[in-house]
This record gives sequence, C-alpha cells and structure tokens, in this order.
Amino acid sequence: MTQFPEPRATQQRQSGQGRQDRKEEEPEAPAAGKGPGAEAADGGWAWGVVFHFFLVNVLVMGMLKTFGIFFVAFQEEVGGSSEQVSWIGSVMSSLRFLGAPLVAVVCRRLGERPTSIIGAGLIGGGCLLSTQATSVPFLCVSMGLLLGMGFACLYQAAAVMTAKRCRTRLAFSNAIARSGMGLTFLIAPFTQLLIDFYGWQGTLLIFGGIMLNLVPSSMLLRPVSAQLQRSSAKNQDRGSLMAKKDSEMLDGCLDETTHREIQLRSAQDLPTMEGVVMPHGRDVSGPVNTSALEGLEKPPMDSCLPEIATEAKRSYKSLPPTEKENTQPLLDFSPLKDPVFCIFTWSFLFSHLAYFVPIFHLVARARTLGVSSMDASYLISVAGITETVSQLLSGWVADQNWTKKYHYHVAYLVLVGITNLLCPLATTFPLLMAYAVAFALFCGGFMALVLPVLVDLVGVQKLHSYLGFAAFFAGIAAIGGPPLAGWLYDYTQTYVCSFLFAGACALISPISFFFEPSAQKWKLKKANLNNGPRLG
Amino acid sequence: EKNITLDRATGIELSCRLDNKYSHLKSLQVTWKKGNETIRYINKTESSWSIQLRILDNSMLGSYSCTLKGKEEIGAMFHLQVPKIEGREKPIVSYEGDTAVMMCKSFGYTPIAWTWYKTNGSEQIAINDSLLADKYVINRISANVTHLKILKLTKEDDGVYWCEAAFELGKSKGKLKLKVLSLMVPLKPFLAIVAEVVILVTIVFLYEMYSKKKEKCAEDEKEFDQIEQL
Repeated sequence: MTQFPEPRATQQRQSGQGRQDRKEEEPEAPAAGKGPGAEAADGGWAWGVVFHFFLVNVLVMGMLKTFGIFFVAFQEEVGGSSEQVSWIGSVMSSLRFLGAPLVAVVCRRLGERPTSIIGAGLIGGGCLLSTQATSVPFLCVSMGLLLGMGFACLYQAAAVMTAKRCRTRLAFSNAIARSGMGLTFLIAPFTQLLIDFYGWQGTLLIFGGIMLNLVPSSMLLRPVSAQLQRSSAKNQDRGSLMAKKDSEMLDGCLDETTHREIQLRSAQDLPTMEGVVMPHGRDVSGPVNTSALEGLEKPPMDSCLPEIATEAKRSYKSLPPTEKENTQPLLDFSPLKDPVFCIFTWSFLFSHLAYFVPIFHLVARARTLGVSSMDASYLISVAGITETVSQLLSGWVADQNWTKKYHYHVAYLVLVGITNLLCPLATTFPLLMAYAVAFALFCGGFMALVLPVLVDLVGVQKLHSYLGFAAFFAGIAAIGGPPLAGWLYDYTQTYVCSFLFAGACALISPISFFFEPSAQKWKLKKANLNNGPRLG
Repeated sequence: EKNITLDRATGIELSCRLDNKYSHLKSLQVTWKKGNETIRYINKTESSWSIQLRILDNSMLGSYSCTLKGKEEIGAMFHLQVPKIEGREKPIVSYEGDTAVMMCKSFGYTPIAWTWYKTNGSEQIAINDSLLADKYVINRISANVTHLKILKLTKEDDGVYWCEAAFELGKSKGKLKLKVLSLMVPLKPFLAIVAEVVILVTIVFLYEMYSKKKEKCAEDEKEFDQIEQL
C-alpha cells in the first residue's frame, strides 16, 4: 500500500469539512486548506450568533414583559376595556409561538439570515406603525400581529442558528443566550422613564429604533451551515459516487471487486444511518463515515490511481449541493409522525405550564401570606438572578457530556415538581424565599437544556420543522396557561392549588422521556427496513 | 385626629370618649371648640362628651376639637371637609396637533357640577367649551368622572389645569399638568439610533465582503495545491 493516496484523501476530506464549525472536536489536525485565521473567524462567528441570540432574548422578552406598562397608557388614551387591551398582549406573546411553523418554512426557503432581518424589520415597522394607532383593533394588528410574527422569526432563526453553529458547547451557549432574559428587569424602569418623558407614542418610536438594532446583529448569522450540509451531503454522495465509479471503470481491480462490494455496502449504510442514529449528534458519525471511506479508497488505490483521482475530483466539484434538501417538502409534516417529536412536545408542553403558572402566582401568594409588596418583588428579583446563574451552570455541566443531556433534563423536572408540591408548606417569608430560590435553580436548569435536548434527539438538519411544531404546541400551552391558573384560583380561592397543579405538570412531563430509548430503537428498525430492499 | 368627608347638608354628632385608663379624670370638664370659638350645647354621659351639629353650608365646615383640661391636655380633632378630588401627579404628555384627554374623578361622592380652569400666569381662567367648541370638549362621562378633551394641541396649551367639583357644601379642586412636545423631541433619539444601526450594518457588510475575498483567495490557492499534488 503506497503512502501517496492518504495525504490527498485527508486533504480532500478536510477541505470538505474545513468549512465546518470549528467548535467541533476534530481528532485530525486542523485543515490544511484553511488558514488558522479562518478557524478563529469561524469560532468568532459562533460567538456572534450567541451574542445575537442574547440580544434577541433581551429585547423580545423585555418587550413582552413591559407590555404591562404600555397597557395602562393605552387604556387611558385609546380607550377600550382592560379586556380588549389585554388581547393585544396575548396576541403578541402567543404569536411568538404559534407563528413558528410558518417561520420554519420561510427559514428553510430563504435561510436564517434573511428571515431574521425580516423579523427585525417587522418589529421595527410594527412599533413605528403603532405610534399612529387610534383604536384597539388597530393596535391589535399593528402591535400584536406584526410584533408577534417578528418575534417568532427572530427567535426561530436565532435558535436554529445557534444549534447549527455551536455543536459541542450548545448547552452552554444556549444558556448564555438565555441569560439575556435575566437582564430584562432593567427594561421596565427604563420604559417607565421613557413614557414619563415622551409619552407612549414617543416611547414606541424609540423602541422601534432599538429593535432595528437587531438588523445588524442578524447579519452576524452567517450561513455557514449551508456549506456544512453540502459537505456532509458530499461525504455521502461521494461515498456512493466513488463506489459506483470504482465498480464501473476499474476492470483492472476486479480481483478485489467482491471485497470492495462488501465494503461498498457498509459505506453506504453509514451515511444513511447517520440520518437516523442521533443521540450523540453528528460528531460521532462524521469521522466514522470518512474513515470508512478511507478504508474503501485504500484497496483500489494502489492500481487504479489516476482514474480514481480524476473521478473523485470531478465528483467533489460537481455534486448538486441541495440534493439532500430538495427531498424535503416545503411544509414538512413528518415531525408529527415521529414518536421522538411526540415525546419531546409532551415534555415541553407540560414543563412550560409548570414554569409559567408559579411565576404568575408567587407574588400574589406572598401578599396573601402577609408579605409586603417590596419584599414580594424582592422575591422575584432573587428568583430571576438565581435562574440566570443556574442556567449557565446547567449548560456548562451538560456540555461536559458525563451523561445524556435529557437525563439532566428529567432530573431537573422532577426536582421542580417536588419543589412545587412542597410549596404549600412555605408560609413565612424565609420559607417562601427558599422556595423561590429552589424553584428558580431547577427551572433555570431545565430551561437551558430544552434546545440541546431537542438537537440531541433530532439532529440539526430537521431542526427547523421540529422546533417550529414544538413551539406551536408550546404556544397553545402558553395561551391556555394563565387563564387556567386564574380559573384555578377563582375555583379554589387559594393559590395553593396553582402550585400543586404546576408540580403535577412538572412531574408528568419527564415521563415521556422514559420512552426515548424504545422510540430510538423503533426508528432504527424502521430505517433498517427501509434500507433492506435497496441494498439487497 | 379624624377626617370626615361631607358632600351635602346633614346633621352630625361628634363624640369624644374617655379611655378606661383615664377614668380618674372623669369629673373634669371637656370643652368643644370650632377653631377658637367654644360651643355651648354639649351632651354629657358617663364617660363621653358629644355635640350635635347641623351642617348647612360651607362656613360650618372646619376643624372641631374636644379638649380635656387637667394636668395634661388631652384632646381629639375632627376635620369636616368636602370630598377631595385627585388630579394626576405625573404630567400628561402629548404632541402638537394631537388630542389630549384629561380626566378627573371623584371617589364616592357625586358633585353637582364640574368646572375646568387653566392657569394663565397666576390667574385661573375658566374653560368655556361652548365658546371654543372646536378646541375644548368637556364631557361628563359618568356621575363621578369628567373629561376635558383638548383638540389641536399647541405649545400654549402646555401648563397646569384644575378641575373643580362643586358640592352642596363647597368646592374642591384637583390639579393636572399637561406637557406638549413637538414631534422633533422623540424623533431626535430615534434618528440617532437609526444612524447607529446603519453604521453597524455597513461595518458588518464591509467586513463580510472583506472576509469573502480572503476566503476566495485561500480557496484558489487550495485548488492550485490540489492540482499540483495530483
């Protein structure tokens, strides 16, 4: 076996993978095709994406939370009952989730960066349009619809881009980005100040401008992933193309044909398996794939060198890059048939219910127990800070890969459930504070892991449609949550029930994860059945 | 001290009662005063002194006090007043050319009439909405709420306004402030932010073009290397 083919093969493989995200743990030496400067740039772009996601969280969440301040101003000027005005807020926050499937389609068509810029434009435009508002329905459309869709666009694009860029440290990057929500407590007094100075119209004008800042930060979402997908598609197609070319054109290598055909089959298996076996992400299958190809290349290389070389080069250049993508329909309903999706959505739905309801009722319960409103708001701020810190910690821990990420997720959810069930025992301020801290600690833990768990279960290719539909169902929970909590209070006249309800939800949600291993096995079997006839 | 709110003519009885720990002072006399005038007709029981008043007009409102003179002076104060009207602490901000709505509310008591005043210098000028019908509109939304709508705001409408509620026993005022801003005021920060956004977009765009050129050069070199090796 000559040494010559290996360096070339390595170089080709690395130039294909060279555009991959630098955060991947690559066992081989850094790409020869790309200089170290480009590597650092890639890592830098990943931080840019995290920064953008952070900014999105701060501004989007800030806007949603400060809507309450605008509420009063709207009511006074534009008129309308408080129920009508609160519709604006609910349209805005629910569209953020419900618009996700539509946005997923747009993202796949146009790419994340244009979608994000469109989202920022929608928000800016919506804010500006709202300054001219004269009636509540007008505001519903201009603020509710436009802003809600804009938020959905931004959020989806940023989340998926983060997943695509930050492979190895996804949980930590996600946690950093989500910590932006912790900063939103600054936006409320700022908004109040602006309203006192400029009135609500001037404030909306200035907010529109601030939201426009998301346009340059959206430009940081460089579409490197297109090349990533292309390179992995190339790996797959190159394997099959090379195998085909080998068998067709190399008469001189007939003595090894049978041996090669077996290797061929196994090489073809690996790319398709790649699409199915997801738990540890694509990192594991990548090198395996290429080393199999290397093994395949070695036998024919010694005698068939020149033809292979030219064929390989041609295949490298002439591969249709979107071959893989075009096979997916535009509005992809396949997630709905996937058991893994059902598992995830079940958990997502209930965990969101368990998250929102106590937040709403914590302050009210503190007041009924005789805690002053200053102390009650102190509870909220401590909870906010604890949540942010615990998100970062949980993200870092999950990234160490000591065990599968959803194990952490399940553990946090169970702890949240237990904490909530114990909440009725908290009747004094110190106990309430302890509850708030514990709740925030575990909530931060599981919140940080939602996206990484989804990526682990599903992979990055189909993340758009999965995330879109999961967000849609979460949106239904988000709409139903607050009224449900309010109804619970009206029915039982005590806030204790809401916490018990939240605890029950939090305990129900991780149940679905126990089915995850069997769901994966089921998927594998299905995939094998599909592949069987093709190879046979 | 006690505040008593009266909006119409009624009869009222004020009584001061002595606490048990002061029972040794029972035998002493209690004087009821309105301001500095002493009231004569006092009803006395075991441990309480009371007066009955018929409040018929504004002059009978005020502060009434019962005092027990002894080694120390113990007493209580009653303040009889008309209902208070609340204005707004923070100024109402509005823009030139826009419409501003100012609201005054009376809590619990229904006034006979509402009047609005605008402060001009040191005077208060009543606002006549029939005279300037295209500028001011006064609406009595409900029995206890009044709205003053000012159309086509200009800089001169900026200032302090008073809403006055007339009760049988007197009048009470609430203060409101109106601030009229020109459209340029919020526009300036907005334009500053937009300028900053444009600058950032340009920077990111230029950097991308620059790095794309670098990549293209690197790619060309790479291909050249590959061809060489082959």
